[in-house]
Amino acid sequence: MLELPSISVKDLQEWSKLGEVLTSGHRLCSGCGAGIMARQVTLAAKALGDPIMIVNATGCLEVATTIYPYTAWNAPWLHNAFENAPATASGAIEAMKAMRRKQNKPDRNVNMIIFGGDGGTYDIGLQSLSGAIERGHDFLYVCYNNGAYMNCLSLDTHIMTEEGLKRVTDIKIGDQVYAFNQKSGELVLKECSGIFDNGIKKIYELNTLHHTIRTTINHPFLIVQRSRKNIENKLIWKTLGELNVGDEIVVLKSLAEGNSYTFETIKMSKLGDYKVNKLNEVALPKESNPELMEFLGLFIGDGWVRVHKTEIGFSIPKDTKERKRLIELTQKLFGITPSEVNPNDVYIYSVNLAKFIDSLDIGKGAKNKKIPSWIFTLPLEEKEGLIKGLLQSDGYTIGKSNRYVSASIELLKTMRLLLQTMNYRVGKIHKQQKKKGTFVVYRKLLEDSNYGYICFSRKKEPNVGKYLSQIKQRDFLADNPNFKTEKIVSINFIREEPTIDLRVEDEHNFIADGIVVHNTGIQRSGGTPQSAATTTSPPGKVIPGKIKWAKPLAEIMAAHEIPAFTASPAYIRDLMAKVQAGLKHDGSAFLLVDSPCNLGQRYAPEISIETTKIAVKSCFFPLYGTYLGEWILTGESARIAKNPDRKVPVEDYLKLQGRFRHLFKPEWKKKLIEIQETVDERWERLVNLASC
Amino acid sequence: MLKQVRGMTGDEAVAYAVKLVNPDVLAAYPITPQTIIVERYSDFVNNGEVDTSFIPVESEHSAMSACVGASMTGARVFTATASAGLALMYEILYVASGMRCPIVLAVANRAFSAPINIHGECTDQLVCRDASWVSLFGESAQEAYDETIMSFKIGEHPDVQLPTMFGIEGFIVTHALERVETMSKTDVEEFLPAERDVKYKFSPDEVMTFGSLVLQDYYMEIKRQQEEAMQNAYKVTKEVMAEFTELTGRKMEIVEKYQLEDAEHAFISYGATAGNAKAVVNKLREKGEKVGALKIRLHRPFPIDDIYDALKGIKSATILDRSATYGSPGTIVQGDIATALYGKKDVPTLHGFINGLGGRVLTLPQIIEAYEKAKVYHEEGKTLTQEWIGYRS
Ligand code: SF4
Ligand SMILES: [Mg+2]
Repeated sequence: MLELPSISVKDLQEWSKLGEVLTSGHRLCSGCGAGIMARQVTLAAKALGDPIMIVNATGCLEVATTIYPYTAWNAPWLHNAFENAPATASGAIEAMKAMRRKQNKPDRNVNMIIFGGDGGTYDIGLQSLSGAIERGHDFLYVCYNNGAYMNCLSLDTHIMTEEGLKRVTDIKIGDQVYAFNQKSGELVLKECSGIFDNGIKKIYELNTLHHTIRTTINHPFLIVQRSRKNIENKLIWKTLGELNVGDEIVVLKSLAEGNSYTFETIKMSKLGDYKVNKLNEVALPKESNPELMEFLGLFIGDGWVRVHKTEIGFSIPKDTKERKRLIELTQKLFGITPSEVNPNDVYIYSVNLAKFIDSLDIGKGAKNKKIPSWIFTLPLEEKEGLIKGLLQSDGYTIGKSNRYVSASIELLKTMRLLLQTMNYRVGKIHKQQKKKGTFVVYRKLLEDSNYGYICFSRKKEPNVGKYLSQIKQRDFLADNPNFKTEKIVSINFIREEPTIDLRVEDEHNFIADGIVVHNTGIQRSGGTPQSAATTTSPPGKVIPGKIKWAKPLAEIMAAHEIPAFTASPAYIRDLMAKVQAGLKHDGSAFLLVDSPCNLGQRYAPEISIETTKIAVKSCFFPLYGTYLGEWILTGESARIAKNPDRKVPVEDYLKLQGRFRHLFKPEWKKKLIEIQETVDERWERLVNLASC
Repeated sequence: MLKQVRGMTGDEAVAYAVKLVNPDVLAAYPITPQTIIVERYSDFVNNGEVDTSFIPVESEHSAMSACVGASMTGARVFTATASAGLALMYEILYVASGMRCPIVLAVANRAFSAPINIHGECTDQLVCRDASWVSLFGESAQEAYDETIMSFKIGEHPDVQLPTMFGIEGFIVTHALERVETMSKTDVEEFLPAERDVKYKFSPDEVMTFGSLVLQDYYMEIKRQQEEAMQNAYKVTKEVMAEFTELTGRKMEIVEKYQLEDAEHAFISYGATAGNAKAVVNKLREKGEKVGALKIRLHRPFPIDDIYDALKGIKSATILDRSATYGSPGTIVQGDIATALYGKKDVPTLHGFINGLGGRVLTLPQIIEAYEKAKVYHEEGKTLTQEWIGYRS
């Protein structure tokens, strides 16, 4: 009865030449189990030889692969709606039979595969599936179960963290990011518990007078909702799509006072320095201070470093007060004197100073300079030192207004964000093309270049106490030390770009490009495991996530007297054997695949296969097949049944994923034990049923 | 054409007409008063009289879903439903039209719950008016028979490619035995091509993606194409009816005018009520009243010009609408008529009467009463009224 073909590595090698059915260019998250499993399923089907057809229920696998006018499917593929893929397939199957019947042709063997997610299978689509199976149409239904209804920011978004400003792509799980506490209105630090690659999405740019952010249309922002008479004004979340020009959004005004930065010690090189200076004479600072920051400001504007040449250069012409200040600072800070042989440039010859500056993450050339994240954590006085230095290099001041010019847009972006945390008003980045030969500040351009500039000025603090209610008309958070509101001046579509999203514990918001934004939602389904956290089954004080165990879907399907299997993309040959057995079966067959989802299950994308492997190893998701009362354990699950020592604790599985994080708090210890007991109980029952 | 006459109920007429068409797929779920259609047809399937695959689905939602799946393969597809069943299909009605599936759907018009009721009322079909389906109503078993066959031709026309539904009132038409002039298999084969003319289909031999995600950049263009198809359907329906008239000798038009030439007042109705209206016209004419009746057969696309032409110069129009709508400025069909006539010259004042809900019989005296009221409202200068008739207060 349950004959599983045995598949060798050689078979896999052969089949891999058959060509992909789900091709590259789809927009599933990186590491998404759905894409991996779909490729395995379709390859196994293709290897059978007969043509394949795919009906796909609404879900990630559908939306992320077919954004019109593109498609990633290299096979006949049809989507109808969320809950009706089996009915749709049954219509197609019977129609093809009838059309051939009319032409007096025999039925043609087609391998019909239906893909549905857990929402489309366990919940809203269960009836359609049950009905189609009862009618006995010849198809294999593959449920890719990621345990919830899953659903961004542009990749060059900057996030405010405890360690300063970071690009969203540099954020790691566990980083402390700044968030807005909606109850107290305070600026708080919260842990980032998930990072999700959301694929290529449409990116829109939102501008206020002083802030700019690029996000997807469904990203939530915190805005002021004003009541008629301004009595019940409050802050609410709205997605970008619901926002209008004129809406007031919450942005960061200033960070808490920081501390001086302690530098990592540089391994001093003995060679080299004595060419110009005496051996190791340079004194490297241990901690940041205002004058060092001023020096670095000059460096960011006018300097470069070439470590192997032992040189740090500044293009500051002779007889300027800037050059005088640079020499003064170099002597004072490092105890060495720069060389002034060249009228246009100043050189400091020191391997060790070059190494030190190189270690500061400032960037080396004119086009890739930036303000590194650690500068955001400094005390105000030191940040002011940096600005002073910057203004002496590529900036100038007219009255109260300052302008800073740079060829590095990244520098302007990060500088703009830094100034915003220092209570400056900063305009947007103006970009311009400069022709060869023109002067930028005091340098003549050797080639046509792209430049940008920003203008900024110090803000006057309004007398909040006296005119609070009036000022609040303009800035709803006028009395908040860290946040304020700004009106949206424009929202424009930019282009399609790769996107990323973060998940932040407790507050569920973070500060992206200086603007308070919300993370997106994941809702529980009938396939969500017990105790897992989703946005509709959150880990509360009384209820730790979802209450019930997921439905035993494979058993429910097996009760229709059809072959039902479970499989994991970590065990490729096992999965493919089941696909082939299901398709060869004359009539309906069902395959439940554990499909890891880094977005919803909250883990790093590179461990997708690892999580599903441990799901099997811990017997949380056993591999088996059942048909007409006969049960077989397969692959790793069969090995565990023979040798129980191979079984790993379920904690190993749970601890990999953010959605179970709350279970590791002491108050839920009991729950962990309970889950282990249930897994054991179910596993035992299965082993007893199976003849392995 | 050789004329044959048989006694049939409305449902049977549909089943026999579908048999002549011999579609590839019929997917349906039983619901009174539509059930007879599918029951009869199951006999044909199981006796090997047709090639159709009958898919006895577990719900109307699945019925329409299976129809879409079948139609996407290029097959000719039929289904039937009523009331709650049509409501359950509602989501997929939009998929069917959006995917340009020329499915044919017979609706045995029946009242919505609650309270639960199984009898005739057309609200179920009228509320589907925005789903981009061609929508027809039939007055009799004969019209049910004819519309079944014509619907395939209208929907499958290359300029249309839209699904078509036609409605006959539950029990009043579905279960009443009437005289039906039938056609032969060869007549239908002459009228309807043997196969659908499809360019793109879900087939094992074609690598194609159907039903993809379409965002802000293309969605509206695709929807606009549906509107253009709907406008084409107006022309195509007229042509198909003309061709069918020629074939059968039974005159049919998208709107039927009865004694309107010299009329000063008119009834407007659709479906079975049109018969009552015509009977009342006969009675009133005997008394010397200058009155006529207009029957709307095609509700979507709405025949704006034909209705204007028919009603130009009429003083007051009594609209008999067997459908319910609440808190609205007029009856459902009255809304369409008012929009079509607004701003035009010599148009009648419109007086809508909601009647016959849940199969309640509308008597001739009640219709005459409505007519008299409409005349008074007209004299009083009221341009648009809506009221209920035939209920106990
Ligand atoms: S990882 Fe999750 S959210 Fe991302 S595409 Fe895959 S299933 Fe969807
Ligand atoms: Mg899911």
